[in-house]
Formats: sequence, C-alpha cells, structure tokens
Amino acid sequence: MKKKFLRIFILFVLSVITHLKIHAQSRIVKGTVTDDKNAPVIGATIGVKGTSIGTITGEAGTFSLSAPAGADSIAVSAVGFESQVIAITPGNMSIHLTTSRTKLDEVVVVGYGTQKKGDLTAPISTVNTESMLKRTTANPMEAIQGSVPGVQVVTNGAPGSSPNVRIRGVGSFNNENPLYVVDGMFVSDISFLNPNDIAEMSILKDASAAAIYGVRAANGVVLITTKKGKLNMKPRITYNAYVGIQKPVNVLKMANGEQYTAFSLGRKSTADSGTVLLSVQKFGGSGLNPSTSTDWYDVILRKSALITNHGIDIQGGGEKVTYSVGLNYTYQNGILNAVNDFKRYNGRVQLEAKPTEWLKVGFSAVFNNTITNSPNNSAFLDAYTASPLFPVYDSTNVNAFPVKFTAASVIGRSDDKNPMATAYYNYNNSKGFQILPTLFVEASFWRNKITFKSQLSQVYGSLLGTQYRPQMNLGPGPGSTVSHLTSTQERTTNYILDNLLTYRDSRGASHWSLLLGQSTREERWRQTWAGADNVPNVKEAWYASQGTPNAAYYGENGTRNAGISFFTRGTYDYDNKYLLTATFRADGSSKYQTKWGYFPSVGLGWVISKEAFMRDQKIFDFLKLRGSWGQLGNDGVNANAGYAVVKTGNSTSAVFGSTAGASGQYIPGYTVNRFYTNISWEVVTEWDGGIDFEMVRGKLSGSVDYYNRKTTKAAFYRPFPFTYTTIYGNWADMVNSGWDVSLSWNDKIGELGYQIGANMSTLKNKVTSLGSLPSSTSGFPEWTAEFPNRTVVGQPINYFYGYEFTGVYQTQQEVDKDPIAANYNQSSSSPILPGFPKYKDQNGDGVLDDKDRINMGSYLPKITYGFNIGLTYKKFDFSAAFQGVSGNKILNLNRGRLYKASTSLNLDEKFASNLWTGPGSTNKYPSAYAIGQGWFKVSNSFFVESGAYLRVQNIQLGYNFNVGKVAPVAMRVFATADRPFIFTKYNGFTPEVGTNTSAGYSVSGYDSNVYPVSSSYSLGVRATF
Amino acid sequence: MRNNILLLALIILMFSGCSKFLDRPLENQAQATNIDYKDLSLMYQPVSGVYRTAASGTFAKWISVAIRSERSDDIEPGNDDAGQVAIHNYQSDVTVKSYWGINDMWISMYSVVLGANSALDELEKFGKNISASDAANLKLLAQYQAEVRYFRALAHFWLCRTFGAVPILGIESNDPTTLGDASKSSIEDVKKHIIEEMDFCIANLEDASPAAAKRVGSVTKYTALMLKAKAAMDLAGNDNGSAYWDVVLESTNQIINSGKFSLFADYYQLFKKPGKMCNESLLELQYSDFGKSTGDIVISGGPGEEWGNFFFFQGPENTYSSVITGPGWMVPTQKAVDFLKSRNDSIRLKTTIQYCGVNGDPATYAVTPDGDTVSGNASRKKYFNGKSYFPRSQMTPDRVDYYGANNNIRVMRYAEVLLMNAEAKIRKGQNGDAQVNEVRQRVKLAPLSQVTLQQLLEERHAELICEWWGERFNDLLRTDQAAAVLPGFVKGPSDYIPIPQAQEDVNPKLK
Repeated sequence: MKKKFLRIFILFVLSVITHLKIHAQSRIVKGTVTDDKNAPVIGATIGVKGTSIGTITGEAGTFSLSAPAGADSIAVSAVGFESQVIAITPGNMSIHLTTSRTKLDEVVVVGYGTQKKGDLTAPISTVNTESMLKRTTANPMEAIQGSVPGVQVVTNGAPGSSPNVRIRGVGSFNNENPLYVVDGMFVSDISFLNPNDIAEMSILKDASAAAIYGVRAANGVVLITTKKGKLNMKPRITYNAYVGIQKPVNVLKMANGEQYTAFSLGRKSTADSGTVLLSVQKFGGSGLNPSTSTDWYDVILRKSALITNHGIDIQGGGEKVTYSVGLNYTYQNGILNAVNDFKRYNGRVQLEAKPTEWLKVGFSAVFNNTITNSPNNSAFLDAYTASPLFPVYDSTNVNAFPVKFTAASVIGRSDDKNPMATAYYNYNNSKGFQILPTLFVEASFWRNKITFKSQLSQVYGSLLGTQYRPQMNLGPGPGSTVSHLTSTQERTTNYILDNLLTYRDSRGASHWSLLLGQSTREERWRQTWAGADNVPNVKEAWYASQGTPNAAYYGENGTRNAGISFFTRGTYDYDNKYLLTATFRADGSSKYQTKWGYFPSVGLGWVISKEAFMRDQKIFDFLKLRGSWGQLGNDGVNANAGYAVVKTGNSTSAVFGSTAGASGQYIPGYTVNRFYTNISWEVVTEWDGGIDFEMVRGKLSGSVDYYNRKTTKAAFYRPFPFTYTTIYGNWADMVNSGWDVSLSWNDKIGELGYQIGANMSTLKNKVTSLGSLPSSTSGFPEWTAEFPNRTVVGQPINYFYGYEFTGVYQTQQEVDKDPIAANYNQSSSSPILPGFPKYKDQNGDGVLDDKDRINMGSYLPKITYGFNIGLTYKKFDFSAAFQGVSGNKILNLNRGRLYKASTSLNLDEKFASNLWTGPGSTNKYPSAYAIGQGWFKVSNSFFVESGAYLRVQNIQLGYNFNVGKVAPVAMRVFATADRPFIFTKYNGFTPEVGTNTSAGYSVSGYDSNVYPVSSSYSLGVRATF
Repeated sequence: MRNNILLLALIILMFSGCSKFLDRPLENQAQATNIDYKDLSLMYQPVSGVYRTAASGTFAKWISVAIRSERSDDIEPGNDDAGQVAIHNYQSDVTVKSYWGINDMWISMYSVVLGANSALDELEKFGKNISASDAANLKLLAQYQAEVRYFRALAHFWLCRTFGAVPILGIESNDPTTLGDASKSSIEDVKKHIIEEMDFCIANLEDASPAAAKRVGSVTKYTALMLKAKAAMDLAGNDNGSAYWDVVLESTNQIINSGKFSLFADYYQLFKKPGKMCNESLLELQYSDFGKSTGDIVISGGPGEEWGNFFFFQGPENTYSSVITGPGWMVPTQKAVDFLKSRNDSIRLKTTIQYCGVNGDPATYAVTPDGDTVSGNASRKKYFNGKSYFPRSQMTPDRVDYYGANNNIRVMRYAEVLLMNAEAKIRKGQNGDAQVNEVRQRVKLAPLSQVTLQQLLEERHAELICEWWGERFNDLLRTDQAAAVLPGFVKGPSDYIPIPQAQEDVNPKLK
C-alpha cells in the first residue's frame, strides 16, 4: 500500500512539473465557431489534440485557449453537429460546423448513470433547459408546463406555491407527484431551485427507466443535475435577470350591487329583503335600490405586483479541478393587497477534483433561504361570497379598532366577513433555510472499465413560522379579541448514502454494462409549536413567553422513514442495433408492516434503420422500435401504525364537577382508535411500446408511445358507515392507458430559422377492483354529502356523482305534466315551480331517487397537449408556447357554495344576469327563488362544467448582440409575456383546479380556487463574459 | 482485485444491523399495547374518554341539536337552509335524504357508540388483571362498564327516535369488517335492547344523584332508570293497557322515592349558572373554561369548532354585543310564544322567550332580564331561545368569545321524571295530580286536580318547551297527534328522518 502511495505521489509531482512546462511554452489559439448559416455555435467543445486542454465557445461562438507549442490541431464538437479536427492556424480561426444528421449521440442522464440517447430502450424526455429559462416562473416545474408529453403540470397562483405534477395520469389516490432526484438526493418538491440552477433535467416515464428507483418510482421520476464546470474551461460568467409585473388575469366578474339586489329580492326571504333595506338605510339609496356596490375583488387585488429575478453564474475548470458557483435572487409580490410575498435567495457551489487519473472527488451544495408571507386565502373566498351592498370602511363603526372596517352584520349579513379585513388581519410569515450538500468519491479501475462511486447526499432544512393576530374588534359591538401568537419551528434531516459499482465493456460489436448499487436512506422531520395570548404587537416581542401561555397552545410532531435498497441494471447492445436493458431493485422500507418489495423491469430496442434492408430507403434517417415492461412502487402511501393508537391529553379527558360554584376539572381520559389495517406500498405494472424516428434529413423527429399502467393495491381511505373515520388500506386496482406523441420540425428558409414542436398525451383511467366494497364515495372536505364523487369498478376514479340537470321548467303546465315534479310536489313544503331545475329520471320510474344518479364526468383530462413555435432571424429570436387540456370536468364548488348558504351569497355576474325570469327566458339557469329551495340542493350536473382550456403560456422576443470588440460580452435582451391569454368556457378564475389534501387524502377537480392567476410581463437581460 | 475485496467488505459492513433500521414503530403515535393494564388506577381513563366524546362534537353538536329541535312546532330553523326547512316541514324526499346534516347527525351519534365500544374493549383488558377475589375492583369495573354502556344506549335511543330502525352496534363492531356489514334492528328491538342495557346499568351504577356522585356529574343508577322509563314509554305508545306503563311507573317511582332529587326553585336560573348540576339534574353535559378568560376551554363543538358551541349557534344576531351573539338560528316559533301566553305561563315565558329588539326591527333593541341589550335583525326574527341564553354577567370576567362558556347543557331533568310518573299513573287510571302540581308549583301555576292525559301532555309541552332533545315531537308521534298538530306531517313517511343517502351508499344493507 505504502509503495503505491509513493508511486502516486511521484506521478503527481511529475505531472505538476509537466504542467508548468507546458504553460511555459504555450501559445494562444483563438477563433469563432459558426454553423452552415454563419450563426455562432454556442457551447461547442474545443479540445487540443493529444492533451486534455479544452474550452467551450461563448455566446458569440468565440473561444480562446492556450495550447502547448507541440500541439498541431484542435477537435471541435457540439451537440447536433458533426465533429471536426482542424489544424491550428495563427490568428482568428474560422470554423464551420455542419449539422449532424442525428441527435442520437446526446448523452442522457438516467437513474444512477448516463446513457446515449440512441441506446435507450425507454421513453425518457429530456427537458430543453434553454426554453425553460424563457418562462418567468419562480418554480422550475411551472416552467415546463405543456412542453413534455405525458407530463401534466397544474399551477397555482399563490407566490411560493408548488404546482401539481402528474406523469401519465393518476395511478394512486395518494401522492401523485413524481419523485425528484436532485444531484442524487430524493426530494418531493423542487421549489427550492431556481430554473437557472438546472443543467439537465430528464423525465423517466416508463418502467424500463424508472424501475431502478423501485418503491419511489410509480409516479415517474424527474432527474435533475445542477450546473457544473468542465475541465479546462475558461471561466465563464453569466448574468441573468428579468423584472416584470404580474397582473391578475381572468378575474371573475361578480354581480354588482344592482344585480345582487335583484337576485337577493328574487329569493323572497325576509332576511334578504331586510339586508337590502338596511343597506339603503345605512349606506344610501332609496326604497329597495341601495346605492352601494362594492367590487370586492377590485378592493383586495393589487393592480400590478412586482416579480423579479437576478442570477449570476460562474463556471470553469482547470486541468484537475472544475468548479461552478451560482447566486440567485427571486422576489415575487402577491397580487392580494396585503402582506403577501415570496423572497428566495439561493446559492450553489460545486467543486470537483481529479487528483489522479483514477480518482475523482466532488462536493456540491445548494443553499437556499426563503421568506414567505402567506396570504389569508379565505380573503379570496370572502370576496367571492360577500354581498356588494356594504362598503369597505365605515366610520360609524365606533367600536371597531384598529381599523374601522365595515361589519357586515349591520346590514344583517352576520355570515359575511369583510374580505379586506380578512386580508388585513393576517400575518403568516415563514422563514426557511435549507442546504442540500452532496459529497462523492469515484474510483476507476481496469482501464476505466470499472468505476466505484460512493455518494452521500443530505438535506438539512429548518423553518421558523410566525403567525400573529393583533388585538382587534371588527364591531359593531364592544369587546375585543386578544392578540394571539403561534410560533412554529421545523427541522428536516434526510440523507441518502449510495454505493454504485459500474462495469462497462465491449467486444467486437457487442457492448454491455452492469451496475450494482446499494442505497440507504433516512428521512426525519420534526415540528414544535408554541403559542400565547396577549402578546404585544411589536415584532421583537413575538415570543410565547411574552404573553399569556397555555398548555393547549404547545405541541410537537414528527416522522421518521427509513429505507435500504439493493439494485442492479444490465445493458447490452449488438452493434447499437439490438438493445436490451434490464433492471431490478429490492427495497426495504420502515413505513409498512411488509418490509421488502421487489421491482424488476426489462426493455428492448431495435434500431431498424441500421438494418441492411433499410439502407436504400430515403424516408427515415433513424427508426427505432422500443418495448418495455416493469414494476414500480409508490410509497407515497401514508405510513400506518399497524396497531391501535391511543389519544391522551385534554382533548380526550372529560370535565367533571362543573357546578354552580365550581369550574370543574379534567379527569384524565384516553380514547383508542382501533381502526387500522396492515398496509403496504402500491405496485404499478407498466407496459410501454414506442417508436422513435427522424426523417427528412433530421428536420422532423418524433416519438410515439403507447402505455398501459396497472396499479394494484392502490391505497385509499375506505369509508365506513357510522363514522367519519376511514380505514386506510390497499383496497383498489386501476388502469391508466394512453398515447404519448411528440413531434418536432426544424428548418431554415434563408436567414429565417424556425422550429415547430407539438406534443400530446391521451389518458384513460379505469378502476378495475375495489375488493369487497361495492362502491366508495368521497369528495371535497365538508362537501362530501352535497357533491360526492364516486369510485366503482369499470369507471374512472372519483367521478362526479349526481343527477343530470336537463333544463328549467318554463311553465306550471310543464311542472304538472312531469311525473317526478308532480310526485315531489305532493309532499314538499316548497313545491317545484316554473324556474326550477329539471333533472332526468334515468330509470323512468317517476320518482327522483338515488337510482337516478349518474357519472357526471371525471376531473382527468382525456387529452393534454402543448405546442410551440420558435423563429430566429439574424439577431432576433421569437418563441411562443401554448398548452391546454380537454375532456375533463370541473365541479364549480364556488357556485356550489350557494348550497349550504343560509342567506344569499354573491354570485358571478354571468350567473346573476342569466337567471330565469319568466317562461322562455333561459333554459340554462334556474330562477333566483329556485336557488334557495331544496329541489336545487341536490348534487346535479348544473355545477359540472367543462374544464377544457387552451392557454398562451409564454411569448418571448429576444435580441442578441455583442458589446466590446476585444473581449466581447455576448448580450441578449428579451421581453416576455407569461400566461397572457387563456381560452376557456369555464365559469371560474382558472380551469387549472389543483388538488386539495387538507382532509388527509387528495381530492381533485373541485374548484374552490378563488385565487386569481396572474399573467406577467417582463423585460430581461443576459450577459455572458 | 484487492480493491474489490476491500469494497465488498465495506459494503457488507454497512448493511449489518439494518433490520433494526427498518423495524421501528412510528414516531409520536402512542401504541395501545403500551398501556399498563395492570395499573388499575388508570381504569377510569377510557371512561372519561367516553364522557368527553359524548360532550364534544356529538350529542350537542349544533346540527344534530337543530334537527331534533326543528322537528317540532316549538322551534323553527331561523335560516333558509333547505335541508333544515324540509326537516321542519316533515319532508322525507331526496332533499332530506341527501342533506349533509342528517348524515352528520347520524355519524355524531354513532361516534359515541363506537367510542363506547372501544372503551369497553379497554375495560375488558383491565378486567383481565383483576383477580376473582378482588371484589372492590370488580365492582368498580362493572360500574365503569355501566357508565360506558349508558352512553352507548343513549346514542342508540336518540338514533332510533330520529331515524327509526337503526343498527345496534355492540362490542363486535370494533372489528371494521363487522362494522361495514351491520344491518338494521327494528324500532321495537332497539328500545328493548336499551331497557336490557339499563337493567345492567341500574344494577351496577353508583346509587347517588349525579350532583352527589363521586365524580360530580357522572351518570348514576337514577340516570339509567330515567332512560329505561323513556324507552318503555316509547314502547308503550298510546296504548294505556301496555305493560310498559308499569315499567315507566316503577322506574320513575324508584327515582322519586330515593329522595335524592328535587326541583330547583328558580326555573329561570335553572338554565343558567346557579342551576348548574343542581339536584334536579339527572344528566348534564359538562363544560368549563376553568374560570379563565382565554386559553384551554371545553365546549360542545368538536376540536376547533367555535361554530359548534351550543350557546353560540342559538344566540341572537346582535349588533350590541360581540359576546351575546350568534347566527340567530333555532328560533322559538310564534306558536310556542302564543301557547305559553295563552296559559299565562309567565315564568316559563320569561325563561324561554327572549326578544330581539322590538318585533325584530333592526333599528330597535330589547333588554334581557339580566340587563343584556339585544338588537333586532335584518331577518326580523323576534325571539331567541332563553333556555340557551347565558347572561354576560354570569360569564367569566373578560371573556369575549365562546358565548355561554362555562355553562353545562341540561339533558335530563327531575321535572320530566315527575311528569312521566304522572302520565303512567293517569294512563293506568291512577291519580297523577301530586307530581304534575309539584312541577306547576315551581313556576307559580295554580294546582290542577284530576289531571287528564291531555292536560298532562300540555304540561310536558310547557315544561320542556324549546329544549333540545326532541320530546315535543316524540310526544305528538307516540300519542298519534302529529298529523293533526304539525302542518306538513304525513303519518308514516314523516315519522322518522330517512337513513342518510351517504350511509346507504357505503353499506347497502342499510336500505
């Protein structure tokens, strides 16, 4: 051993000396690399033949390096071009590259390694990071919306929030978000990254690619590599920035004072007319015509809100060391006119050293600091429902303080909150800090045929949350609520230790590789909270000890999950023509009673275009058939105790001795929840068949895939009669199937280069088993009885369930003739009248009952699509991206709120102005009176609307130029419009309806979303030194 | 090669001891198996848990209280919630069947049943650690079981009165498969089951009034006797010859003859702080704010459900006080007011009917007997229920939220025992004057003689008016007067609320 070290040391010293010598005699080689249309080629690799010296070209296609005196030629290569070797000439070398016929030499990041794109047996989508950077979004996943087939991104308007991402449909009632692997670390969300940090992003969609991630892979895997320097790379500094404004877009117009009054009086209740009278009396107007008409959305929304991003990035490398450093700052102000914004500072450091030929060590870390002021989202709901008949402020509200907001109860609307007060009396700040360090060592043996890599990746996160409510009174009565503080601390510590052994070899036309790996991981999360009343309204005093403490305000929570895995992957190809990939992973998990799961996969590929019989055809440049099968797991299934859980403490103890003279006291008690079952992860068995092709000299490329994913042991909260307690277990099976298609066309007409891309995915979801359960109903929390969704075998998961709304009764004669109306009117105290909704008597038995309920539609889009065009002309470039979905339904729960309302909530302008007013007025909307009556208050398809939309996601115009002659700085300035237009018939703020998980299970397709989405318009600049 | 061996050794080293790594219980989840069942001092804990389940978010949850109360001519919804309005009008169609409130009520009531069954299982485990010779602890065990079984029976009782034929869930339903498969028992069977259960409770519960019980306010032998009498009364129906009247008489006689109960002298204060857990009380749900104006509090709503506070949801829409306030729901009907006025029942009127301004006019105000100012309102609701009115002056000083905090909810009272006793006597041809007059005397009404059944029923109506447990509707139903008295009532379909659609959807056997 000692001897070996000595030898290494001598080698090391020698190499340093050689290195110095080379430098002593080097000369400068410089030049410009252009393509066949004379446009600069950015990022081309320049290597000096016979040495390891190299660089890459900058924004203007220029390069400069110092080559040893003996060197005679340089090798120039770039992705998408044929490589060239060119003799060194003095002066500025001018190098023209010709477009390569295929992109198949690109190296793609796959699980625990890389593979050449041409050799893949799996449909892996690589994300174009350039076009990702065109979007002005704070979150990287929002930046790929509509650009990757099979990936559905559903965004949300709140600053700092993360989108929902679905890859190939919904195979689970639980977590449907994919696994993100950032530099080897598993994370569930990548909102801590700036789009600027990402060098490569690959999306693993099928089993052949994803099964190597075993029990975490069922929802697909997003692999992210952050930016890294390259060996012998001249330092490159890039500055990236944009400043823009966000504007609320598609803000729903609510009924104004006049329309609301008409609707309200139409309900014919004393409370409603009382409100109208009181509004006139208090705030002006005459008779039954109040003059107040508050547009609450106008009150609570900012006209425009700032969004800005600045990033600086340095990459470079010497002969043995590469480095990269990045710093980013993002600020996004919320569009709610109160304290709500998002600020993120993040930094990235990466360092890699190659001390010897066979050893590589590396370190990288992503730091981030976020400060989020979360809005009180109920302000948006309040703005939706509040009556327009009272103003924001009321100076006669004498008892109110600190601000004299109007109390809605003075016009008899005690249910209404003043939306501005809701927004104003909110302080919800969280400061997060997270560091994601990774450390690896890699050793190569046997002429690099064997490499061993060991990597430790970690996440350390901490969070301080502060919620404060000042002492206040909303009036009109005296007495105020005391101030209250809740302060929360959180700590996340996760790690993964990976050990990978890779063997790569070839003999003749046969190439093979084998990966053996082992991984250990642990995830720990802990939360502590403390609170107090009567805390002074001074930020510095916001400590629980500064107020009146109470045991009920303190608590702790935490989770721990651990896993151990062994995995392997073998690949074999013959002449890059016949391809085979096989993987296997064994996963052990602490979350479940069953500890171990096994996940195999196999993928086959046949590059037909390499066959002799294809040699003479001119249609295809490249044609490959692929097929794969494999099993994947989803451990997004909640951990389950597997035993009865005891609840103790004040909440399960009863009070005794509460008498006239005594306040009583607790006698300690406990309750036991014995509803449990053994649980395990879900298993997805996936088939995929596909074709990759390139045609017309590489101008047209594309791929088509068919997939079939069967989820078995899908876990959900099985409802039981008699209780809200559900039992979480592996109760169901379901199948998702469909097509993923993507096409891209690249060409030039004179100096105009253009590119058109399109992608589309179809999805069919069907539940195939529910065990012994005949059906399962669920729904949006607190609305499960009014608007249930239902799951039965043979239908899509969680479809909307209810009666079919077919129109409106126009005349009394029509009511009398209809058997179901006549039947209802026999006993009802509120009989059906003209203007009431008509429901279809599905079984024709003359009675509307549970047997007449139907599938009113599914929240899952049948088609998800995106397309984009890119144009370049001289120094200008222009791009536009569109995306949309169709075939899905939305249950408009905002309109549905009228259901539970005991008085008239406000409604949207379209609804209010289209109400039925007499025979023939409309067949689409009921009368104002009918809305308040029981007949309308059954789950029906009036509330189910099409969720189809097409959105212009991004438009950007850029101009490229150089500044300075000697050391030119490549500049790009650009103007961007994000989400400027949307085309939809949906009657809501946005048809992008997220997933609600507040009840502990995920429920989708119910629109309770009253946070308007904003569009943003920005100007940006990028400079490369 | 040597390197490879080294690596292999390293990998093997890393994996050793990994089974413990995966095999650990969940964080922060106490395991039931960790309870020390040998420590008999813990034996009351599951029982206390059941009392809490019964007090918070279940029996007195706003929606179930509203549904029970509004199925009468004493209380109307006070809002235009279509479900409540339809229930108030005795509809039984799709509007009611798919109304969320009846499903919530069903679940609230059954959650007491399930909580009780779970606690019985716990008690059994303690029981296994009591030796056969330890008579004292065996007696305690039986008493604790009886306390738990009382609440289970009370839930079944109310469920049956509301929904008719319902499943009886025993300890076997601790197994979820059995629970998911439960089927209904007839109304008669449920009531008989309650009588059997009460016989066990009577034999094993403490022989004291709740106010004098070891744990003040716990259910005792007399609470069980009263429930037995109520179940028997329902079974007897309108048939004077039914043997169940003997059961009513015998059970109520035991309560009366015990001498442990008396009527609280001031009917108005009976429902306020001075009347808390007095000698009239047979069952109260107990609450407390522990005498503090902020901090921990026990109210009738579930966790974090200020809305569900019993006193709040019946509070008036009041612009004069943010304390004495509420949504103004569950409004006493004009019929109820007229009824009390017509019989000059001034103390009951003063106690039960409080005024919202002058005729509900929002520009006016009224002052309660305790000096609280209450405004009118936009809906011009004239009244609010005085039995759930809790004066500002009696609340914990400085408390500005949780209106009514620190007051208990009165569920069963000795006055009703007297009236049941009288009814049994009258139906059996005996004289019930003494008991009826004892009740009348407290509210300063002149004594009656030769009280008839109709007079007795009227006295029950007046004494229990606007209380929350459905006695008024049940009296009309069991005496077959409902169709005549209640507008919209159809004999048969209106007798019970339909089984909630959501329940049938998950268990078709409930159809």
